[in-house]
Amino acid sequence: MSIGQSNISRPRKIKPWPYLLVTPSLVALGLILGYPIIKLFSLSLERYGLSEIIAGKGVFVGFGNFSEILTDKDFWTILERTLFFTFGMVAVSMIVGAWLAHLMLNMHSKIRNVLNLVLILVWAMPQLVSISVWRWLFSFEFSIVTEVINKLGFNMDKHNYFVNTLSGFLIIGGCVAWGALPFITISIYAALTQVPQDLIEAAEIDGANPRQVFRNIIFPMLLPVYVILISLSTIWDFQVFSHIWIFLDSRPSAEYYTIAIYAFQKSFGLSEYGKGAAISIVMIVALIGVTGYYLRQMMKMGDE
Amino acid sequence: MGFPVYWMITTSFKPKGDILSTNPTLLPRSFTLSNYVEAVTKEGFVRALINSLIVVFFTVTISLFVALFASIAVARMKFKGKRTYVATILLVQMLPLSALLIPIYLLLSRFNLTDKLSGVILTYLAFVLPFVIWTLRGFLVNIPAELEEAALVDGCTRPQAYRLVLFPLMAPGLVATAIFAFIQAWNEFLLAYIILSSQDNATMPIWLAGFTNRFGTDWGPLMAASTLTALPVVIFFTRIQDKIATGVTAGAVKG
Repeated sequence: MSIGQSNISRPRKIKPWPYLLVTPSLVALGLILGYPIIKLFSLSLERYGLSEIIAGKGVFVGFGNFSEILTDKDFWTILERTLFFTFGMVAVSMIVGAWLAHLMLNMHSKIRNVLNLVLILVWAMPQLVSISVWRWLFSFEFSIVTEVINKLGFNMDKHNYFVNTLSGFLIIGGCVAWGALPFITISIYAALTQVPQDLIEAAEIDGANPRQVFRNIIFPMLLPVYVILISLSTIWDFQVFSHIWIFLDSRPSAEYYTIAIYAFQKSFGLSEYGKGAAISIVMIVALIGVTGYYLRQMMKMGDE
Repeated sequence: MGFPVYWMITTSFKPKGDILSTNPTLLPRSFTLSNYVEAVTKEGFVRALINSLIVVFFTVTISLFVALFASIAVARMKFKGKRTYVATILLVQMLPLSALLIPIYLLLSRFNLTDKLSGVILTYLAFVLPFVIWTLRGFLVNIPAELEEAALVDGCTRPQAYRLVLFPLMAPGLVATAIFAFIQAWNEFLLAYIILSSQDNATMPIWLAGFTNRFGTDWGPLMAASTLTALPVVIFFTRIQDKIATGVTAGAVKG
Protein backbone atom coordinates (compact mmCIF):
# COMPACT_ATOMS: atom_id res chain seq x y z
CA MET A 1 0.00 0.00 0.00
CA SER A 2 2.70 2.45 0.99
CA ILE A 3 4.27 2.01 -2.43
CA GLY A 4 1.06 2.99 -4.19
CA GLN A 5 0.68 6.08 -2.05
CA SER A 6 4.21 7.34 -2.57
CA ASN A 7 3.49 7.08 -6.29
CA ILE A 8 0.52 9.41 -6.10
CA SER A 9 2.26 12.06 -4.02
CA ARG A 10 5.15 12.34 -6.46
CA PRO A 11 5.35 15.90 -7.91
CA ARG A 12 3.43 16.14 -11.18
CA LYS A 13 5.15 16.74 -14.47
CA ILE A 14 4.10 15.79 -17.93
CA LYS A 15 5.17 12.23 -18.50
CA PRO A 16 5.81 11.22 -22.10
CA TRP A 17 5.24 7.51 -21.56
CA PRO A 18 1.45 7.23 -21.78
CA TYR A 19 1.40 9.33 -24.93
CA LEU A 20 4.12 7.26 -26.56
CA LEU A 21 2.22 4.10 -25.73
CA VAL A 22 -1.08 5.36 -27.09
CA THR A 23 0.29 6.91 -30.28
CA PRO A 24 0.67 3.76 -32.43
CA SER A 25 -2.98 2.82 -31.96
CA LEU A 26 -4.14 6.34 -32.78
CA VAL A 27 -1.94 6.45 -35.87
CA ALA A 28 -3.32 3.11 -37.08
CA LEU A 29 -6.93 4.14 -36.50
CA GLY A 30 -6.42 7.61 -37.94
CA LEU A 31 -4.66 6.37 -41.07
CA ILE A 32 -7.39 3.92 -41.99
CA LEU A 33 -10.54 5.48 -40.61
CA GLY A 34 -9.76 9.20 -40.52
CA TYR A 35 -10.47 9.98 -44.14
CA PRO A 36 -13.49 7.64 -44.45
CA ILE A 37 -15.14 9.23 -41.40
CA ILE A 38 -14.59 12.76 -42.67
CA LYS A 39 -15.84 11.67 -46.08
CA LEU A 40 -18.96 10.16 -44.51
CA PHE A 41 -19.74 13.41 -42.72
CA SER A 42 -19.13 15.61 -45.74
CA LEU A 43 -21.22 13.31 -47.97
CA SER A 44 -24.12 13.52 -45.55
CA LEU A 45 -24.29 17.28 -46.18
CA GLU A 46 -24.35 16.93 -49.94
CA ARG A 47 -26.68 15.85 -52.67
CA TYR A 48 -24.63 13.13 -54.29
CA GLY A 49 -26.46 11.09 -56.90
CA LEU A 50 -25.65 9.78 -60.37
CA SER A 51 -25.23 13.18 -61.99
CA GLU A 52 -22.94 14.30 -59.18
CA ILE A 53 -20.83 11.16 -59.59
CA ILE A 54 -20.34 12.02 -63.24
CA ALA A 55 -19.50 15.62 -62.35
CA GLY A 56 -17.23 14.26 -59.60
CA LYS A 57 -18.55 16.76 -57.09
CA GLY A 58 -21.52 16.85 -54.75
CA VAL A 59 -23.90 19.75 -54.24
CA PHE A 60 -23.88 21.16 -50.73
CA VAL A 61 -27.37 21.02 -49.20
CA GLY A 62 -26.61 21.64 -45.51
CA PHE A 63 -28.83 19.55 -43.28
CA GLY A 64 -31.30 18.87 -46.08
CA ASN A 65 -30.69 15.12 -46.11
CA PHE A 66 -31.20 14.92 -42.38
CA SER A 67 -34.47 16.85 -42.30
CA GLU A 68 -35.75 14.73 -45.16
CA ILE A 69 -34.93 11.49 -43.34
CA LEU A 70 -36.29 12.59 -39.98
CA THR A 71 -39.61 13.65 -41.49
CA ASP A 72 -39.92 10.41 -43.45
CA LYS A 73 -42.46 8.06 -41.84
CA ASP A 74 -40.73 4.97 -43.23
CA PHE A 75 -37.57 5.90 -41.40
CA TRP A 76 -39.25 5.83 -37.98
CA THR A 77 -40.91 2.49 -38.69
CA ILE A 78 -37.56 1.07 -39.75
CA LEU A 79 -35.78 2.50 -36.72
CA GLU A 80 -38.41 1.02 -34.38
CA ARG A 81 -38.15 -2.35 -36.11
CA THR A 82 -34.35 -2.28 -35.87
CA LEU A 83 -34.50 -1.50 -32.16
CA PHE A 84 -36.95 -4.35 -31.46
CA PHE A 85 -34.90 -6.76 -33.53
CA THR A 86 -31.65 -5.71 -31.82
CA PHE A 87 -33.15 -5.92 -28.35
CA GLY A 88 -34.51 -9.41 -29.06
CA MET A 89 -31.22 -10.75 -30.36
CA VAL A 90 -29.14 -9.23 -27.55
CA ALA A 91 -31.54 -10.51 -24.89
CA VAL A 92 -31.70 -14.04 -26.28
CA SER A 93 -27.97 -14.40 -26.87
CA MET A 94 -27.07 -12.92 -23.46
CA ILE A 95 -29.55 -15.04 -21.51
CA VAL A 96 -28.71 -18.28 -23.28
CA GLY A 97 -24.99 -17.47 -23.17
CA ALA A 98 -25.01 -16.73 -19.43
CA TRP A 99 -27.08 -19.86 -18.80
CA LEU A 100 -24.66 -22.03 -20.79
CA ALA A 101 -21.66 -20.51 -19.03
CA HIS A 102 -23.12 -21.29 -15.61
CA LEU A 103 -23.94 -24.82 -16.75
CA MET A 104 -20.37 -25.25 -17.95
CA LEU A 105 -19.02 -24.32 -14.56
CA ASN A 106 -20.76 -27.23 -12.85
CA MET A 107 -20.46 -29.73 -15.66
CA HIS A 108 -18.48 -32.90 -15.80
CA SER A 109 -15.25 -31.91 -17.53
CA LYS A 110 -15.83 -34.37 -20.40
CA ILE A 111 -19.22 -32.87 -21.25
CA ARG A 112 -17.75 -29.41 -20.87
CA ASN A 113 -15.06 -30.23 -23.40
CA VAL A 114 -17.66 -31.40 -25.89
CA LEU A 115 -19.76 -28.27 -25.39
CA ASN A 116 -16.62 -26.20 -25.72
CA LEU A 117 -15.74 -27.87 -28.99
CA VAL A 118 -19.24 -27.26 -30.35
CA LEU A 119 -19.01 -23.60 -29.37
CA ILE A 120 -15.65 -23.25 -31.07
CA LEU A 121 -16.94 -24.98 -34.20
CA VAL A 122 -19.89 -22.60 -34.32
CA TRP A 123 -17.48 -19.71 -33.96
CA ALA A 124 -15.07 -21.11 -36.52
CA MET A 125 -17.67 -21.57 -39.24
CA PRO A 126 -17.09 -18.78 -41.76
CA GLN A 127 -20.04 -16.39 -41.45
CA LEU A 128 -20.89 -16.60 -45.11
CA VAL A 129 -21.11 -20.38 -44.82
CA SER A 130 -23.08 -20.49 -41.59
CA ILE A 131 -25.69 -18.11 -42.96
CA SER A 132 -25.96 -20.19 -46.14
CA VAL A 133 -26.42 -23.37 -44.12
CA TRP A 134 -29.13 -21.76 -41.98
CA ARG A 135 -30.82 -20.57 -45.11
CA TRP A 136 -30.69 -24.05 -46.49
CA LEU A 137 -32.14 -25.55 -43.27
CA PHE A 138 -35.16 -23.27 -43.69
CA SER A 139 -35.33 -23.24 -47.48
CA PHE A 140 -38.53 -23.68 -49.43
CA GLU A 141 -37.66 -26.89 -51.24
CA PHE A 142 -34.88 -28.68 -49.44
CA SER A 143 -35.59 -27.90 -45.80
CA ILE A 144 -34.65 -30.53 -43.24
CA VAL A 145 -36.58 -28.54 -40.63
CA THR A 146 -39.83 -28.76 -42.57
CA GLU A 147 -39.13 -32.44 -43.19
CA VAL A 148 -38.70 -33.14 -39.47
CA ILE A 149 -41.84 -31.15 -38.59
CA ASN A 150 -43.76 -33.15 -41.20
CA LYS A 151 -42.38 -36.42 -39.84
CA LEU A 152 -43.65 -35.41 -36.40
CA GLY A 153 -47.14 -35.40 -37.84
CA PHE A 154 -47.74 -31.71 -38.51
CA ASN A 155 -48.40 -31.24 -42.18
CA MET A 156 -46.56 -28.16 -43.41
CA ASP A 157 -45.68 -29.59 -46.83
CA LYS A 158 -43.39 -27.07 -48.48
CA HIS A 159 -43.36 -24.06 -46.24
CA ASN A 160 -41.95 -20.62 -47.02
CA TYR A 161 -40.86 -19.24 -43.67
CA PHE A 162 -40.20 -15.77 -44.99
CA VAL A 163 -43.67 -14.84 -46.23
CA ASN A 164 -44.55 -14.09 -42.63
CA THR A 165 -42.12 -11.40 -41.47
CA LEU A 166 -42.40 -12.49 -37.84
CA SER A 167 -41.20 -16.03 -38.55
CA GLY A 168 -38.67 -14.60 -40.99
CA PHE A 169 -37.20 -12.27 -38.39
CA LEU A 170 -37.26 -15.05 -35.79
CA ILE A 171 -35.15 -17.26 -38.04
CA ILE A 172 -32.73 -14.49 -39.05
CA GLY A 173 -32.47 -13.29 -35.45
CA GLY A 174 -31.98 -16.88 -34.31
CA CYS A 175 -29.09 -17.22 -36.72
CA VAL A 176 -27.49 -13.98 -35.46
CA ALA A 177 -27.95 -14.89 -31.78
CA TRP A 178 -26.64 -18.38 -32.46
CA GLY A 179 -23.53 -16.94 -34.09
CA ALA A 180 -22.95 -14.64 -31.11
CA LEU A 181 -23.30 -17.42 -28.51
CA PRO A 182 -19.72 -18.76 -28.56
CA PHE A 183 -18.14 -15.38 -27.87
CA ILE A 184 -20.64 -14.54 -25.11
CA THR A 185 -20.58 -17.94 -23.45
CA ILE A 186 -16.81 -18.31 -23.51
CA SER A 187 -16.29 -14.78 -22.15
CA ILE A 188 -18.75 -15.24 -19.29
CA TYR A 189 -17.34 -18.67 -18.52
CA ALA A 190 -13.79 -17.26 -18.41
CA ALA A 191 -14.96 -14.52 -16.04
CA LEU A 192 -16.78 -17.07 -13.85
CA THR A 193 -13.66 -19.16 -13.42
CA GLN A 194 -11.87 -16.05 -12.14
CA VAL A 195 -14.25 -15.59 -9.21
CA PRO A 196 -12.17 -16.75 -6.23
CA GLN A 197 -13.58 -20.02 -4.97
CA ASP A 198 -12.69 -19.32 -1.32
CA LEU A 199 -14.91 -16.22 -1.37
CA ILE A 200 -17.89 -18.36 -2.34
CA GLU A 201 -17.00 -21.02 0.21
CA ALA A 202 -16.70 -18.43 2.94
CA ALA A 203 -20.15 -17.08 2.08
CA GLU A 204 -21.59 -20.57 2.09
CA ILE A 205 -20.10 -21.27 5.51
CA ASP A 206 -21.74 -18.07 6.70
CA GLY A 207 -25.05 -19.54 5.57
CA ALA A 208 -25.64 -17.86 2.20
CA ASN A 209 -27.90 -19.78 -0.19
CA PRO A 210 -26.93 -20.21 -3.86
CA ARG A 211 -29.13 -17.32 -4.94
CA GLN A 212 -27.54 -14.98 -2.39
CA VAL A 213 -24.10 -16.14 -3.45
CA PHE A 214 -24.97 -15.30 -7.02
CA ARG A 215 -26.52 -11.94 -6.24
CA ASN A 216 -23.98 -10.70 -3.74
CA ILE A 217 -20.72 -12.21 -4.94
CA ILE A 218 -20.80 -13.58 -8.46
CA PHE A 219 -23.01 -10.96 -10.09
CA PRO A 220 -21.09 -7.87 -8.88
CA MET A 221 -17.80 -9.44 -10.00
CA LEU A 222 -19.24 -10.29 -13.40
CA LEU A 223 -20.90 -6.93 -13.90
CA PRO A 224 -18.04 -5.39 -15.92
CA VAL A 225 -18.06 -8.38 -18.26
CA TYR A 226 -21.84 -8.15 -18.69
CA VAL A 227 -21.57 -4.42 -19.43
CA ILE A 228 -18.97 -4.99 -22.12
CA LEU A 229 -20.77 -7.96 -23.68
CA ILE A 230 -24.15 -6.23 -23.74
CA SER A 231 -22.77 -3.08 -25.30
CA LEU A 232 -20.71 -4.92 -27.90
CA SER A 233 -23.65 -7.19 -28.79
CA THR A 234 -25.92 -4.19 -29.11
CA ILE A 235 -23.45 -2.49 -31.43
CA TRP A 236 -22.98 -5.60 -33.56
CA ASP A 237 -26.64 -6.65 -33.68
CA PHE A 238 -27.82 -3.15 -34.47
CA GLN A 239 -25.67 -3.21 -37.60
CA VAL A 240 -26.63 -6.68 -38.78
CA PHE A 241 -26.48 -6.63 -42.52
CA SER A 242 -25.17 -9.79 -44.19
CA HIS A 243 -27.68 -12.06 -42.47
CA ILE A 244 -30.73 -10.24 -43.78
CA TRP A 245 -29.07 -9.69 -47.11
CA ILE A 246 -28.13 -13.34 -47.70
CA PHE A 247 -31.30 -14.89 -46.21
CA LEU A 248 -33.47 -12.82 -48.54
CA ASP A 249 -31.43 -13.39 -51.66
CA SER A 250 -29.88 -9.88 -51.85
CA ARG A 251 -33.28 -8.30 -52.39
CA PRO A 252 -35.08 -7.96 -49.07
CA SER A 253 -38.60 -6.58 -49.36
CA ALA A 254 -39.43 -3.33 -47.56
CA GLU A 255 -40.91 -5.14 -44.52
CA TYR A 256 -37.47 -6.59 -43.86
CA TYR A 257 -35.61 -3.29 -43.95
CA THR A 258 -33.50 -2.54 -40.91
CA ILE A 259 -31.61 0.69 -40.72
CA ALA A 260 -28.38 -0.82 -42.06
CA ILE A 261 -30.20 -2.29 -45.07
CA TYR A 262 -32.07 0.99 -45.56
CA ALA A 263 -28.84 3.01 -45.66
CA PHE A 264 -27.29 0.53 -48.06
CA GLN A 265 -30.33 0.55 -50.34
CA LYS A 266 -30.42 4.34 -50.46
CA SER A 267 -26.72 4.47 -51.36
CA PHE A 268 -26.29 1.59 -53.74
CA GLY A 269 -29.83 0.73 -54.81
CA LEU A 270 -31.00 4.26 -55.52
CA SER A 271 -27.57 5.89 -55.88
CA GLU A 272 -28.43 8.57 -53.35
CA TYR A 273 -25.09 8.48 -51.61
CA GLY A 274 -25.60 11.70 -49.67
CA LYS A 275 -28.80 10.41 -48.12
CA GLY A 276 -27.25 7.02 -47.45
CA ALA A 277 -24.40 8.70 -45.58
CA ALA A 278 -26.88 10.81 -43.58
CA ILE A 279 -28.79 7.65 -42.57
CA SER A 280 -25.54 6.07 -41.44
CA ILE A 281 -24.82 9.05 -39.24
CA VAL A 282 -28.32 8.99 -37.76
CA MET A 283 -27.69 5.31 -37.14
CA ILE A 284 -24.49 6.06 -35.22
CA VAL A 285 -26.31 8.69 -33.16
CA ALA A 286 -29.14 6.24 -32.41
CA LEU A 287 -26.61 3.64 -31.40
CA ILE A 288 -24.90 6.07 -29.04
CA GLY A 289 -28.31 6.84 -27.57
CA VAL A 290 -29.16 3.18 -27.06
CA THR A 291 -25.81 2.22 -25.58
CA GLY A 292 -25.38 5.51 -23.69
CA TYR A 293 -25.75 3.95 -20.27
CA TYR A 294 -23.22 1.23 -21.01
CA LEU A 295 -20.83 3.67 -22.64
CA ARG A 296 -20.80 5.79 -19.52
CA GLN A 297 -20.15 2.69 -17.42
CA MET A 298 -17.28 1.76 -19.69
CA MET A 299 -15.86 5.27 -19.60
CA LYS A 300 -15.93 5.10 -15.82
CA MET A 301 -14.12 1.79 -15.93
CA GLY A 302 -11.55 3.37 -18.21
CA ASP A 303 -10.98 6.09 -15.64
CA GLU A 304 -10.15 3.74 -12.83
CA MET B 1 -27.13 -25.63 -31.14
CA GLY B 2 -24.57 -27.73 -32.91
CA PHE B 3 -27.01 -28.71 -35.63
CA PRO B 4 -25.78 -26.35 -38.37
CA VAL B 5 -22.25 -27.57 -37.64
CA TYR B 6 -23.47 -31.16 -37.76
CA TRP B 7 -25.20 -30.43 -41.06
CA MET B 8 -22.04 -28.87 -42.53
CA ILE B 9 -19.85 -31.80 -41.53
CA THR B 10 -22.25 -34.58 -42.56
CA THR B 11 -23.01 -32.89 -45.87
CA SER B 12 -19.31 -32.74 -46.61
CA PHE B 13 -19.26 -36.55 -46.60
CA LYS B 14 -22.42 -37.10 -48.63
CA PRO B 15 -22.38 -38.09 -52.30
CA LYS B 16 -23.77 -35.46 -54.66
CA GLY B 17 -27.13 -37.16 -55.21
CA ASP B 18 -27.96 -37.22 -51.49
CA ILE B 19 -27.22 -33.57 -50.79
CA LEU B 20 -29.96 -31.47 -52.33
CA SER B 21 -32.71 -33.94 -51.69
CA THR B 22 -36.34 -32.89 -51.52
CA ASN B 23 -36.78 -35.36 -48.69
CA PRO B 24 -33.60 -34.86 -46.65
CA THR B 25 -32.76 -37.23 -43.80
CA LEU B 26 -31.09 -36.45 -40.48
CA LEU B 27 -28.57 -39.28 -40.77
CA PRO B 28 -26.38 -39.56 -43.87
CA ARG B 29 -27.27 -42.49 -46.10
CA SER B 30 -23.80 -43.07 -47.52
CA PHE B 31 -20.26 -41.82 -47.14
CA THR B 32 -17.71 -40.39 -49.57
CA LEU B 33 -14.54 -38.34 -49.52
CA SER B 34 -14.98 -37.06 -53.04
CA ASN B 35 -16.13 -33.62 -51.85
CA TYR B 36 -12.83 -33.14 -50.03
CA VAL B 37 -10.85 -34.22 -53.07
CA GLU B 38 -12.83 -31.81 -55.20
CA ALA B 39 -12.42 -28.96 -52.72
CA VAL B 40 -8.68 -29.36 -52.25
CA THR B 41 -7.98 -29.73 -55.96
CA LYS B 42 -10.13 -26.75 -56.88
CA GLU B 43 -8.03 -23.97 -58.33
CA GLY B 44 -6.66 -21.48 -55.84
CA PHE B 45 -6.95 -23.51 -52.63
CA VAL B 46 -3.28 -23.42 -51.64
CA ARG B 47 -2.93 -19.79 -52.70
CA ALA B 48 -5.98 -18.75 -50.65
CA LEU B 49 -4.75 -20.73 -47.66
CA ILE B 50 -1.33 -19.04 -47.74
CA ASN B 51 -2.89 -15.60 -48.24
CA SER B 52 -5.22 -16.09 -45.30
CA LEU B 53 -2.38 -17.26 -43.09
CA ILE B 54 -0.34 -14.17 -44.01
CA VAL B 55 -3.26 -11.84 -43.28
CA VAL B 56 -4.02 -13.55 -39.98
CA PHE B 57 -0.40 -13.59 -38.85
CA PHE B 58 0.18 -9.88 -39.40
CA THR B 59 -3.23 -8.77 -38.15
CA VAL B 60 -2.86 -10.73 -34.93
CA THR B 61 0.74 -9.85 -34.12
CA ILE B 62 0.58 -6.16 -35.03
CA SER B 63 -2.76 -5.59 -33.33
CA LEU B 64 -1.58 -7.33 -30.15
CA PHE B 65 1.62 -5.27 -30.02
CA VAL B 66 -0.07 -1.95 -30.63
CA ALA B 67 -2.93 -2.78 -28.28
CA LEU B 68 -0.61 -3.98 -25.55
CA PHE B 69 1.12 -0.58 -25.45
CA ALA B 70 -2.17 1.28 -25.49
CA SER B 71 -3.78 -0.89 -22.84
CA ILE B 72 -0.87 -0.40 -20.46
CA ALA B 73 -1.32 3.35 -20.78
CA VAL B 74 -5.07 3.12 -20.22
CA ALA B 75 -5.00 0.61 -17.38
CA ARG B 76 -1.88 1.71 -15.52
CA MET B 77 -1.30 5.42 -16.08
CA LYS B 78 -3.06 8.67 -15.50
CA PHE B 79 -2.69 11.16 -18.29
CA LYS B 80 -4.43 14.17 -19.71
CA GLY B 81 -6.77 13.28 -22.53
CA LYS B 82 -7.35 9.73 -21.32
CA ARG B 83 -11.12 10.19 -21.31
CA THR B 84 -11.05 11.43 -24.89
CA TYR B 85 -8.88 8.52 -25.91
CA VAL B 86 -11.18 5.97 -24.27
CA ALA B 87 -14.22 7.62 -25.83
CA THR B 88 -12.56 7.51 -29.27
CA ILE B 89 -11.83 3.81 -28.89
CA LEU B 90 -15.43 3.10 -27.89
CA LEU B 91 -16.96 5.23 -30.61
CA VAL B 92 -14.86 3.75 -33.39
CA GLN B 93 -16.59 0.43 -32.68
CA MET B 94 -19.92 1.98 -33.56
CA LEU B 95 -19.06 2.92 -37.12
CA PRO B 96 -21.20 0.90 -39.51
CA LEU B 97 -18.89 -1.00 -41.81
CA SER B 98 -21.30 -0.86 -44.72
CA ALA B 99 -21.16 2.94 -44.71
CA LEU B 100 -17.36 3.08 -44.72
CA LEU B 101 -16.70 0.53 -47.47
CA ILE B 102 -16.48 2.96 -50.35
CA PRO B 103 -14.40 5.69 -48.68
CA ILE B 104 -12.02 2.98 -47.43
CA TYR B 105 -11.69 1.62 -50.93
CA LEU B 106 -11.04 5.10 -52.33
CA LEU B 107 -8.42 5.77 -49.67
CA LEU B 108 -6.60 2.50 -50.30
CA SER B 109 -6.63 3.00 -54.04
CA ARG B 110 -5.05 6.43 -53.64
CA PHE B 111 -2.11 4.78 -51.89
CA ASN B 112 -1.99 1.87 -54.31
CA LEU B 113 -3.04 -0.62 -51.67
CA THR B 114 -6.08 -2.12 -53.38
CA ASP B 115 -5.75 -5.72 -54.44
CA LYS B 116 -2.88 -6.08 -51.99
CA LEU B 117 -2.83 -8.14 -48.82
CA SER B 118 -1.20 -5.23 -47.00
CA GLY B 119 -4.31 -3.14 -47.70
CA VAL B 120 -6.49 -5.84 -46.16
CA ILE B 121 -4.21 -6.17 -43.14
CA LEU B 122 -4.24 -2.42 -42.49
CA THR B 123 -8.02 -2.31 -42.69
CA TYR B 124 -8.46 -5.29 -40.40
CA LEU B 125 -6.13 -3.65 -37.89
CA ALA B 126 -8.37 -0.62 -37.67
CA PHE B 127 -11.46 -2.74 -37.08
CA VAL B 128 -9.88 -5.17 -34.62
CA LEU B 129 -7.82 -2.73 -32.55
CA PRO B 130 -10.54 -1.06 -30.45
CA PHE B 131 -11.82 -4.41 -29.26
CA VAL B 132 -8.36 -5.78 -28.57
CA ILE B 133 -7.30 -2.67 -26.63
CA TRP B 134 -10.43 -2.76 -24.54
CA THR B 135 -10.21 -6.46 -23.69
CA LEU B 136 -6.52 -6.30 -22.85
CA ARG B 137 -7.24 -3.39 -20.55
CA GLY B 138 -9.81 -5.61 -18.83
CA PHE B 139 -7.24 -8.30 -18.19
CA LEU B 140 -4.64 -5.78 -17.04
CA VAL B 141 -6.76 -4.13 -14.37
CA ASN B 142 -7.23 -7.54 -12.76
CA ILE B 143 -3.49 -7.77 -12.13
CA PRO B 144 -2.53 -5.78 -9.02
CA ALA B 145 -0.14 -2.93 -9.81
CA GLU B 146 1.70 -3.73 -6.57
CA LEU B 147 3.40 -6.64 -8.34
CA GLU B 148 5.21 -4.43 -10.85
CA GLU B 149 5.87 -1.78 -8.26
CA ALA B 150 7.56 -4.32 -6.07
CA ALA B 151 9.79 -5.15 -9.04
CA LEU B 152 10.55 -1.43 -9.48
CA VAL B 153 11.54 -1.18 -5.85
CA ASP B 154 13.79 -4.18 -6.32
CA GLY B 155 15.68 -2.20 -8.95
CA CYS B 156 13.99 -3.15 -12.22
CA THR B 157 13.46 -0.51 -14.86
CA ARG B 158 9.86 -0.03 -15.99
CA PRO B 159 10.25 -2.01 -19.24
CA GLN B 160 11.98 -4.76 -17.26
CA ALA B 161 9.16 -4.84 -14.74
CA TYR B 162 6.66 -5.21 -17.55
CA ARG B 163 8.65 -7.86 -19.34
CA LEU B 164 9.48 -9.97 -16.31
CA VAL B 165 6.41 -9.53 -14.14
CA LEU B 166 3.45 -8.20 -16.07
CA PHE B 167 3.62 -9.96 -19.44
CA PRO B 168 3.77 -13.51 -18.07
CA LEU B 169 0.71 -12.76 -15.95
CA MET B 170 -1.06 -11.33 -18.98
CA ALA B 171 -0.54 -14.44 -21.10
CA PRO B 172 -4.15 -15.69 -20.80
CA GLY B 173 -5.51 -12.29 -21.76
CA LEU B 174 -3.17 -12.00 -24.71
CA VAL B 175 -4.19 -15.44 -25.86
CA ALA B 176 -7.92 -14.79 -25.55
CA THR B 177 -7.66 -11.60 -27.56
CA ALA B 178 -5.40 -13.30 -30.10
CA ILE B 179 -8.16 -15.81 -30.75
CA PHE B 180 -10.65 -13.06 -31.35
CA ALA B 181 -8.35 -11.27 -33.81
CA PHE B 182 -7.51 -14.60 -35.45
CA ILE B 183 -11.16 -15.47 -36.09
CA GLN B 184 -11.99 -11.98 -37.35
CA ALA B 185 -9.14 -11.98 -39.84
CA TRP B 186 -9.63 -15.59 -40.86
CA ASN B 187 -13.36 -15.32 -41.57
CA GLU B 188 -13.89 -11.74 -42.73
CA PHE B 189 -15.52 -11.57 -46.13
CA LEU B 190 -16.98 -8.19 -47.08
CA LEU B 191 -13.87 -6.00 -46.79
CA ALA B 192 -11.62 -8.58 -48.42
CA TYR B 193 -14.13 -8.97 -51.23
CA ILE B 194 -14.14 -5.24 -51.92
CA ILE B 195 -10.39 -4.65 -51.56
CA LEU B 196 -9.01 -7.71 -53.34
CA SER B 197 -9.86 -8.27 -56.96
CA SER B 198 -7.42 -10.78 -58.47
CA GLN B 199 -7.68 -14.48 -57.80
CA ASP B 200 -4.03 -14.63 -56.76
CA ASN B 201 -4.79 -12.49 -53.74
CA ALA B 202 -8.03 -14.16 -52.65
CA THR B 203 -8.35 -15.13 -48.99
CA MET B 204 -10.19 -18.25 -47.83
CA PRO B 205 -13.66 -16.71 -47.47
CA ILE B 206 -13.44 -15.26 -50.99
CA TRP B 207 -12.31 -18.59 -52.34
CA LEU B 208 -15.24 -20.22 -50.52
CA ALA B 209 -17.65 -17.81 -52.13
CA GLY B 210 -16.45 -19.17 -55.47
CA PHE B 211 -18.48 -22.35 -54.85
CA THR B 212 -21.62 -20.33 -55.35
CA ASN B 213 -22.36 -18.96 -58.79
CA ARG B 214 -25.48 -17.94 -60.66
CA PHE B 215 -26.38 -21.57 -61.27
CA GLY B 216 -26.55 -22.27 -57.55
CA THR B 217 -24.31 -23.55 -54.80
CA ASP B 218 -22.04 -26.57 -55.07
CA TRP B 219 -22.91 -27.71 -51.54
CA GLY B 220 -20.79 -30.84 -51.18
CA PRO B 221 -17.38 -29.30 -51.96
CA LEU B 222 -18.39 -26.05 -50.22
CA MET B 223 -19.17 -27.87 -46.98
CA ALA B 224 -15.95 -29.88 -47.28
CA ALA B 225 -13.95 -26.70 -47.87
CA SER B 226 -15.73 -24.93 -44.99
CA THR B 227 -14.95 -27.77 -42.64
CA LEU B 228 -11.31 -27.50 -43.69
CA THR B 229 -11.42 -23.72 -43.14
CA ALA B 230 -12.83 -24.11 -39.66
CA LEU B 231 -10.18 -26.65 -38.73
CA PRO B 232 -7.24 -24.25 -38.12
CA VAL B 233 -9.40 -22.14 -35.81
CA VAL B 234 -10.41 -25.19 -33.81
CA ILE B 235 -6.81 -26.39 -33.52
CA PHE B 236 -5.52 -22.94 -32.60
CA PHE B 237 -8.25 -22.49 -30.03
CA THR B 238 -8.09 -25.86 -28.30
CA ARG B 239 -4.29 -25.75 -28.02
CA ILE B 240 -4.45 -22.30 -26.56
CA GLN B 241 -7.33 -22.96 -24.22
CA ASP B 242 -5.22 -25.27 -22.09
CA LYS B 243 -2.91 -22.32 -21.60
CA ILE B 244 -5.78 -20.08 -20.59
CA ALA B 245 -6.93 -22.62 -18.05
CA THR B 246 -3.47 -22.95 -16.49
CA GLY B 247 -3.09 -19.19 -16.53
CA VAL B 248 -6.30 -18.75 -14.61
CA THR B 249 -5.54 -21.41 -12.03
CA ALA B 250 -1.96 -20.25 -11.52
CA GLY B 251 -3.31 -18.04 -8.75
CA ALA B 252 -0.72 -15.35 -9.27
CA VAL B 253 -3.25 -12.73 -8.25
CA LYS B 254 -3.68 -14.12 -4.77
CA GLY B 255 -1.19 -13.77 -2.00
